[in-house]
Amino acid sequence: MKRPAVLLALGLLILTAVLLLYRIIGLGYPVLPASTGQAFHFKFDGHIKSDGGDTTLSVALPSERPGLIISEEYFGSGSLSFNLFRKESGRYGVWIGQTGRDGEIVSYRAMILMRSPGTAKPKSPVLEKYPPLTNKDEQTAAEKITERLKLLPLPERIETILKLMEDSGSRPPELTFFKFMEGRYSQSTLLLTLFRAALIPARVVDGVRLTEGIVTKPLTWIEAWNGQTWEGLSIDGKETLKDQATLLALTVDGTPVVHVAGGKINDTRWDINRQIVGQWRHNYEHISRSERFLDRWSLFRLPTEFQQTFRILLLVPIGALLICILRNIIGFPTFGIFMPVLMALSFRNTGLIYGLSIFAGVILVGYAARRFLDRLRLLLVPRMSVLLTLVIVCFTLLALFGNKFGLRQVMAVGLLPFVILVMTIERFFVVVEEHGIRTALQTSAGSAAVAFITYLIISSETLQLTFFIYPELLLSIGALQILIGRYTGYRLSELFRFREFRDPS
Amino acid sequence: MIGQAFQQLKEAGVLGINNRNAEYIMRYNPRSLYPLVDNKVLTKRLAKQYGIPTPVLFHVIENYGSMKNLKTMLEDIKEFVVKPASGSGGSGIILIAERTRNVFLTQSKKVVTLEYLSYHISDILSGIFSLQGHEDHAIIESLIHPDQVFSAVTYQGVPDVRIIVYRGVPVMAMVRLPTKDSDGKANLHRGAIGAGIELGTGQTITAVHKSKIVTHHPDTGNPVSGLQVPHWDTMLSIATLATDMTGLGYIGVDIVIDRDRGPVLLELNARPGLAIQMANKSGLLKRLEDVDAAPDGIFTTPEKRIAWAKENL
Repeated sequence: MKRPAVLLALGLLILTAVLLLYRIIGLGYPVLPASTGQAFHFKFDGHIKSDGGDTTLSVALPSERPGLIISEEYFGSGSLSFNLFRKESGRYGVWIGQTGRDGEIVSYRAMILMRSPGTAKPKSPVLEKYPPLTNKDEQTAAEKITERLKLLPLPERIETILKLMEDSGSRPPELTFFKFMEGRYSQSTLLLTLFRAALIPARVVDGVRLTEGIVTKPLTWIEAWNGQTWEGLSIDGKETLKDQATLLALTVDGTPVVHVAGGKINDTRWDINRQIVGQWRHNYEHISRSERFLDRWSLFRLPTEFQQTFRILLLVPIGALLICILRNIIGFPTFGIFMPVLMALSFRNTGLIYGLSIFAGVILVGYAARRFLDRLRLLLVPRMSVLLTLVIVCFTLLALFGNKFGLRQVMAVGLLPFVILVMTIERFFVVVEEHGIRTALQTSAGSAAVAFITYLIISSETLQLTFFIYPELLLSIGALQILIGRYTGYRLSELFRFREFRDPS
Repeated sequence: MIGQAFQQLKEAGVLGINNRNAEYIMRYNPRSLYPLVDNKVLTKRLAKQYGIPTPVLFHVIENYGSMKNLKTMLEDIKEFVVKPASGSGGSGIILIAERTRNVFLTQSKKVVTLEYLSYHISDILSGIFSLQGHEDHAIIESLIHPDQVFSAVTYQGVPDVRIIVYRGVPVMAMVRLPTKDSDGKANLHRGAIGAGIELGTGQTITAVHKSKIVTHHPDTGNPVSGLQVPHWDTMLSIATLATDMTGLGYIGVDIVIDRDRGPVLLELNARPGLAIQMANKSGLLKRLEDVDAAPDGIFTTPEKRIAWAKENL
């Protein structure tokens, strides 16, 4: 009797696997669509004002390299003319023109996608000249100090120089050199001089940190070539940067990130936002241009306004699966079968905390009202209608008070399934009457817990993206549901219920 | 750990709820036959054809309109029961034991008015007690006077005997004894005692109260095991006939013993509960499998099935 169901489930699982393999191998989809990269929304804004004549503003912009893709660039130039230049050291956006008396806002927006760089290794750099400010004598002195290092492999050479920087040269010849240099130059120039003397390619890098936040100044750090890759160092050379992967280089030769001639720039700000949405766009662009069979039938081909719904919808069966497990394998009761799933959907409007409070509040108020209504001896359907009206009146009042006191979240009830809540009140009342308040509270707690977990599932962008790209995963969810449907073993709760039978006596 | 616990239950032959639903109820109880047991009016009608006694039906109230005659309907009836035609778990039942002209006294000595009764009946009609929440009918039938045999182990209410019948073979039985906790109701989940009955002899064996094994009634203090159930053979035949009469292969038959009429079929249940296993301290699954392994010959007549059950289970 179990065979047909198990075979069907197996068939669905195999079908899922085949479709997945086709998409991954045949169409080159990412195996883990949401985790192979990160997307950032990069924003630069500045306020520029001319001194009288033409103003030239040059701003270093992020540029593509292995593992970093830039898309959806946008430039705001106001009345200024705009040009994009590509140089050895990076890309520059150049705004030229005369601003009005109040100046102009210039802006740049881009979506930055970080992917695994793959096997591509950075090119071995050539050794640059000494930092331009230093003179021949200083360079010779630096070479003398680093003479013995030239025999060491590159990584150890770097390490030794960092140590020298830390001690500021403890022995006399070095001490004199450091004293002299520190008096005249910045720490970074000193560091670059030493690197050059020890024949280590090194450079000053300006950029921003790719983490959520707003900065008003770019960051400067040093990179030294260790034979394999560029190693990031703090600007005083006292430490290596452990989070170099999160740094986005804008210029690599000491050119300032923002340079303005014939005017002033104020309020520069770099605003970085981590976005999973960027992943959507990236996949969307990939898929909507392809003419392959499954690409043409991808959900990305739906009109965008409907896509949002399907992102959520595709995850709802997982919530149902959860309830199957809870009820049929664990044996934990919930109110109604899919009530928790509907609750979870409504939490999307209200937010979790307010949503759960609504759940608790409505049950409480509803129960009190139901007790009172019991005395009025109303018939079932009108009685439920009265409860529904009462609940909606309560929410309306709450929204009005929320508006008065500026509590936005209490107004965001959205399409919360009020009707379902009213049914829950009735169920709660009956369970209290028939099985006692304990069981009723347990069932409520169970329902709230399932709603909570389901909410986490349907709000997970990672899962949304995964199921949207691979909707065939639904078939395997169905397969699991079929398997649970044919689970005729004991429920976990029955181990307790029938514990007398497990007693050896 | 858990696997071991599962194994222990399996070895004890315990029937779990998933297994009951998938392998027995779904396989042997076609949905189309459910109304025969879910609607007590239909059950009564059917039982009549098979000569099985049921509580005397006084009135069926099918709509709100006929409620205005309630007073006249009840005029000549001294004692009666109001219950939903499609109720479950004993909810929505009012037992009226005494009355004056307009005031009624329930069996648990609560005073109710005619107005209250009509409110209750309209609740029944609106479907609040029915299995699926559909609109329902209300039944007014005769009150059962329980036989004195269980009075020492009953706190108010009416004790009843539940017999599980599988493919026409009685496989397990218990008597349900109301307690103070259960408010005189014979439902185990409300706190009634369930005492297992040995099929061969009709004697009570062990008993369960709130999922614990007990030997004495908590309210009366009298022992609940070793009692002889009267009319045992008649009860077994009523139960066995229930399968022939409904066509349901896995069914719970509830019988009460009336002081004057003897065994009376109270109701049938297409999804009988599993607590009966605790009352008998015996697994149902084992017995069901025994029935499946029994020779085909025994299934030909009710008498043969009963004889086989008394012998083998």
